[in-house]
Amino acid sequence: MKAFIAKLVDLTQKNSEEIAKQWAKDVKTNAKTGSYHKAPEEKIIRQARDFYNNFQMMFFNESPYEQAKEIFEKYAEERYKEGMPLHEALYALILMRRHMWLYAEFQSLFNVDVEHRQAVESLSRTILMFDYIMYVVTRKFWKMMKL
Amino acid sequence: MQAYAAKLIDLIETKAANIAGQWADDVMKHNRTPSYHSLPRNMVIEQGTEFYKLFRRMSLAENPYEEAKTFSWKYAEKFYRENIPLQETIYALMLLRRHLWLYAEFQGTFFTALEKQQAVESLNRTILMFDYVSYQVIEKYEELIRRDVDKNLLAVETLTKKGCVGAEHKTCRFVLMTILVMGALVLTYYCHAILQTGVVFTHLFYIPVVLASVFWGRKGIWIAVILGLALLFSHGAFLKGIPFTEDIIRAVMFVAVGGVMGWLMEDVIKVRELFHGFKS
Repeated sequence: MKAFIAKLVDLTQKNSEEIAKQWAKDVKTNAKTGSYHKAPEEKIIRQARDFYNNFQMMFFNESPYEQAKEIFEKYAEERYKEGMPLHEALYALILMRRHMWLYAEFQSLFNVDVEHRQAVESLSRTILMFDYIMYVVTRKFWKMMKL
Repeated sequence: MQAYAAKLIDLIETKAANIAGQWADDVMKHNRTPSYHSLPRNMVIEQGTEFYKLFRRMSLAENPYEEAKTFSWKYAEKFYRENIPLQETIYALMLLRRHLWLYAEFQGTFFTALEKQQAVESLNRTILMFDYVSYQVIEKYEELIRRDVDKNLLAVETLTKKGCVGAEHKTCRFVLMTILVMGALVLTYYCHAILQTGVVFTHLFYIPVVLASVFWGRKGIWIAVILGLALLFSHGAFLKGIPFTEDIIRAVMFVAVGGVMGWLMEDVIKVRELFHGFKS
């Protein structure tokens, strides 16, 4: 199980630039992320690259929730200051998760029967990490919106 | 895949109340959803059951995103009105997803190698639907916050924005204030120099004093200072022999009223700016 998660996270980190570019292309045209449409491409690619690198750190941390708070509260604050609505900021995160997974599928990371069992487990773990991130980002936004 | 999706959907639909019950037990004591702890259990279960029933409708719908809207908006409104913070509402949705999956695993819905492959696909499909619902719930919450802020600040908006003296009409404000101050000075001269009386005409001075504070917050106090000094200067020049006491009290009152109003308006102006920042 551990080896599979490591494989997925390693793949994401090594190819963070490429995944970030695919994500940027998506987010710049997706109807649910209107605030990204006019943002400079370089800036948003950097945003996704940083995200994937931070995600790796979080994935292997002993207390990922605490790590998520440390990293993603700042992320939420930056998006809020840019004037981005929360639903778009979160949808962009959802797309980051999808692109990470799509890339792994595209690279046939999980392709034999026995690996599918482990794919389910690593998919569950990835979702758990994203749940933490989304909770932290939403909480920070909520605090700032309620000022 | 179709058969497995159907298997999962059937399981969810027939056991909706059971899964919702397990979810309610979790959400009503989870440390990330404290606002749910005091909600009536029946109400929480009802929301959970409705959600799991939606799952079938979404799975069968041609456009699952549109299908989810009615539920998501109702769900958001319900919990917003119960004063549940957004992050807790979203976390509760995540727990709904987890419990659905836990229940399927517990029931051994997917256990052969082949089924695991299809489980990945079903899992992806489930996640997609949850993504839609989360997005719609957040969007609705934002809309409800905006609506509440609009309602709460209606009075402020009326006071600071409406008409030709609104915040967008800086020139109008300046012209109006000049006219009022000039009027007050002419009235002072007329009463003091011509009528030779200190009779109470200074009540009218409160109009520019209060308006200046509404327009410019603390800075508006300068209008009160100008009017107070003008009153005292005029008294000294034209009302010789009449004691200053009453006019000193009046001048002090202008400054006090202008100061308090300005201090209060600073907060109103800040709230208004925050509100506009949020809206834009």
